[in-house]
Amino acid sequence: MLVGLARSGNRDAFAEIVNRRQDWIRNLMRRCCRDPALADDLAQQVFLQAWRSLRQLDDASRFGPWVKRIAINAWLQHKRRNDPLRDAAASDEAQAAARETPALAMDLDRALSALADDVRLCIVLAYHERMTHAEIADFTGLPAGTVKSHIRRGSARLQEALAAYLETGEEAE
Amino acid sequence: MTIDSKLAALFDQARQTFDRDVFLAGIMRRIDRERRRSILVWSCMGLVLVAACALLAVPVTTAASMASELLPVSLVDIETEWLRLLLAPINSVAAAIAVGVIAIRKFFGRISS
Repeated sequence: MLVGLARSGNRDAFAEIVNRRQDWIRNLMRRCCRDPALADDLAQQVFLQAWRSLRQLDDASRFGPWVKRIAINAWLQHKRRNDPLRDAAASDEAQAAARETPALAMDLDRALSALADDVRLCIVLAYHERMTHAEIADFTGLPAGTVKSHIRRGSARLQEALAAYLETGEEAE
Repeated sequence: MTIDSKLAALFDQARQTFDRDVFLAGIMRRIDRERRRSILVWSCMGLVLVAACALLAVPVTTAASMASELLPVSLVDIETEWLRLLLAPINSVAAAIAVGVIAIRKFFGRISS
């Protein structure tokens, strides 16, 4: 119903949708890129794009997957623009946001940022979004075999980097 | 291949709850800015259109009246009344232009196919 209202241009309905979905999209973008300020900027772009294209969404019940696709495309476009300086930038805003980030999330993001872009994206979609290999292949355009090997290799790297958390589940908190 | 359950649990634990108001305000500000820009662009386009209409009104009217006088002019003078009426649709400047356009289109169509 909210999506239907937002499609007809109702800003309050869209604001409510943003409120309900922002944690999900912001977490997804943070797993994709280590810089929290950049992640939030990308998440805002995702919602802005959703607002612009909402009329193109035929089935309101598919809003979640639709936004997820926009988010992944936003991340892929960002990577395609290839802006390494911005990724590495330790702006004041980024540092402030990093201070508020829990240790586990920071360590996870650090471990993820050590992975190659494609591997990281496959890992995030598999573990954060619980998507199947076929779904990831569909979303990213990568062959299913590549997705599978990316996830296997990425998982091994993460297990190694986050061994402390995996051995003692208590530390995770 | 299934995903590693311990790793999946770590991803779950790393999920954060954020301060929502600032983020939401940022998006709504961007939406408002975009709407204002869109209104401005459409207003400018409207003004340009009105200005163009005002400036071109006289030349366009003149050209239209010249065309309306020129197009029905016969290409060949035919003295026989019934024959002139019969050939009127093809014996005019307009017909010549139409035939020319069709010929050019066919020519380019044949080249491109």
